[in-house]
Amino acid sequence: MDSLTVYWRLISAQIRGQMQYRVSFLLQLLGSFSTVFAELLAVLILFRTFGEMAGWRVGEVALLYSLVAIGFGLSELVSEGFDDMSVLIRMGDFDRILTRPIPAFVQVMSSQFALRRLGRIAHGVVALTLSHWWLRLAWSWVDVLLFLLALAGTAVVFFSIVLIGAAICFWTTERTEVQNVFTYGGTEVVSYPMHIYNRWLRSVFLWVVPLGLTTYYPVLHILQKTDPLDMPGWLPFVGPLIAPLFFGVALLIWRTGMDHYQSTGS
Amino acid sequence: MNCYVEIARVSYRRHRAHRAANIAGLATNGFFGLVRSFVFLALYRARPEAEGYVLLDALTYVWVTQALIMPVMHWGWLEIAQTIRDGDVISDLSKPVSFFGYWLSRDLGRSGYYVLYRFVPTLCIGLILFPMRLPEHLTTWIYFTLSVLMAAVLGFCVLFLINITGFWTTDVRGINSVVLTAVNFLTGFIVPLEFFPPAARAIAEVLPFAGMISIPINIFLERATGLAMLGLLGRQALWVCMLVLACHVTLAAATRRLVVQGG
Repeated sequence: MDSLTVYWRLISAQIRGQMQYRVSFLLQLLGSFSTVFAELLAVLILFRTFGEMAGWRVGEVALLYSLVAIGFGLSELVSEGFDDMSVLIRMGDFDRILTRPIPAFVQVMSSQFALRRLGRIAHGVVALTLSHWWLRLAWSWVDVLLFLLALAGTAVVFFSIVLIGAAICFWTTERTEVQNVFTYGGTEVVSYPMHIYNRWLRSVFLWVVPLGLTTYYPVLHILQKTDPLDMPGWLPFVGPLIAPLFFGVALLIWRTGMDHYQSTGS
Repeated sequence: MNCYVEIARVSYRRHRAHRAANIAGLATNGFFGLVRSFVFLALYRARPEAEGYVLLDALTYVWVTQALIMPVMHWGWLEIAQTIRDGDVISDLSKPVSFFGYWLSRDLGRSGYYVLYRFVPTLCIGLILFPMRLPEHLTTWIYFTLSVLMAAVLGFCVLFLINITGFWTTDVRGINSVVLTAVNFLTGFIVPLEFFPPAARAIAEVLPFAGMISIPINIFLERATGLAMLGLLGRQALWVCMLVLACHVTLAAATRRLVVQGG
């Protein structure tokens, strides 16, 4: 059996398991939805008070916001297993994983499937709908394609951040809090147009963790806005393609970490 | 009384042991403070003032909320619910100290720790990075301290009530996340209550949750002075009494139907 088949079998078992406790699942889904929906509500309240943000109207920020929310939600669906990496190592469960004839990466990924994260995706769809309602954009085929590409790119970058965080556990055993700054903090940063930040914060989220490249630039193009930062015109299309590159780096760190791994002996 | 002070002191000391976790949390508070400051800097380009908040007030609001969140809410905890789940609650209930008082002291010990090691440093980071408005009058600091103390008690009561739903349901986790989200929003932590649409603002301001973040901040910003400020403190005090009462009534109802399954 190849890895993909194993992954699907384990995931569908997970989903069936989570559906057994219907009420609990629905509550978690509601919790996940309401937590993030409060953030969207906050953005709407701020726009109600101030009208615009550095030249962007509410519908435009809502489009950017929806891209970030759906992208992050998609990555969260599959990255949950890596989030618990420190527990796997501390309890000695990772040793067991290494003895099985399936790549560790696949096993960790299939250990959790966070169906409740559909809440975040749903709220992203709400934001997208609102944005469409306000802007009435005439989406060309290129725009739709670019949006989907950006969505995939954003999900991959968020997934890679969690993967790097998990790989760091091979050295530290403990989960590092810094990861939250880039995941949850990252969604906060790129949910607003990048030109509101100062140079160094912008640079970190464009060139170190390329979230700005997979979100801000594609949306600039779709909205046909001029780039206040004066980057080359092809950047919106190339930006999302940086994501696989970033994933490659993350995978490399993961591999290096695994080579470094010494059991905790528990 | 001595015993409660001791409980608070032990709790304070226990938290002081987790230095690395606190530094990481401080970095997170600082980061979010930074991002939200840029958001307000961008918004205020469109207009210089909103609902009596100028840019300086908004920046102060950002950093004081980031500084207050841990002393007041701790992002929620489910420790009591856990003791209900595993049965340890029985030994806590049979101790010769008030169950409510025991947990309140523990929580105030924790709040005290976070005032010193989280509130103060977070505010300092904000002061270094951005211009802020510090209280002009010395007395404001005294009222603010009093207000934060009441905010911490209110925060504790909300979390206590969430936790003891564990006597009735096994879904405390779900209830916790839904309720905390609503509470966070209604405290004015995410956006100032002043920016809410008028009707929503009027409702949010009379609810107890305003006493957890919004009222302390309004006192810090000296937006209310004299009698109006005493009114705010009075409203907070009234809610403290009501919520403490609610906690006791709910706990009494819960323990009446409590069945111990051996052990």
